[in-house]
Amino acid sequence: MKALSEFHVGDTFELTRTCGRYLPIYYAAASGDFNPIHIDPEVGRAAGQPGAILQGMCTMAWLTDACSRYFGDPGRIVKLEVRFARPVQVGETVRFEGRCVALQGDRVRVEVKATNEKGEEVLKNAAAEAVVEGGQP
Amino acid sequence: MIDRANLGRTYGPYRYVVGLEEIRDFANVVAGGLPGRVFAPPPPEPPHPWHVDEEAGRASRHRSIIAPPTFCVRFAMEPFAKACSDPALGIDLVRLLHGEQSFELGEVVRPGDVLETTGEITDIGQRGKMDLLTIRSTTTHASGRMVVVGLWKAVVLG
Repeated sequence: MKALSEFHVGDTFELTRTCGRYLPIYYAAASGDFNPIHIDPEVGRAAGQPGAILQGMCTMAWLTDACSRYFGDPGRIVKLEVRFARPVQVGETVRFEGRCVALQGDRVRVEVKATNEKGEEVLKNAAAEAVVEGGQP
Repeated sequence: MIDRANLGRTYGPYRYVVGLEEIRDFANVVAGGLPGRVFAPPPPEPPHPWHVDEEAGRASRHRSIIAPPTFCVRFAMEPFAKACSDPALGIDLVRLLHGEQSFELGEVVRPGDVLETTGEITDIGQRGKMDLLTIRSTTTHASGRMVVVGLWKAVVLG
């Protein structure tokens, strides 16, 4: 497992994920969030969107996967935070670009930029923190 | 406008027993796959093995499959969902957007865990024509250890 000495401020990581046509429905099944705005394109349009939109929590789950890969152990994550800046539409691809911004004792903090193909940010203030076990606090 | 008299309103406790296949489904869907075993090819990229592979999980320091951190949506979101559909608040779900989210994570979640979640409305505000609503959820393991504290912030368009 990745040791504390292997984390450095300035490290970068990335992940790209696409919202397939049925992903909001699959994610509804996996998460329990069946709010109709994620299932029914008509409801999405009534809410002023082009169609059904992806659950923000699924975008956050993608972000978390990106961070878990960098941290090595998903169980190390002690903090996650995001602001949902723009709904992810069916067919959109989101690119996550993370950077290690702080190391304090055994704690590692990363900040992540999440953009769609047009370069629009779908998340703002996205960050995660991990505690690396066995590290010197 | 959400009546500020609802500040401090509580929801729960809600009991939740974590299932192994639920964890697998969640990890597979987030990796681009499908939930379930039927008509479900593997995802294009495999999820972290500790979320899906029992042998790999047992060999890890967690001694078990563990849930992805945001799997907590399955249980920790319940007070937020209940509040958003509470007639006392009168929110039109079509106008509801998830504005912000944060989690403080403690004990990892394993299959078979028995969890209890409670929630409280901790803020009601306005920004222009929009209503803002914050629910704080707290989930604890049957052992008493903290699993996750969530801050769920909703925006209701005017």
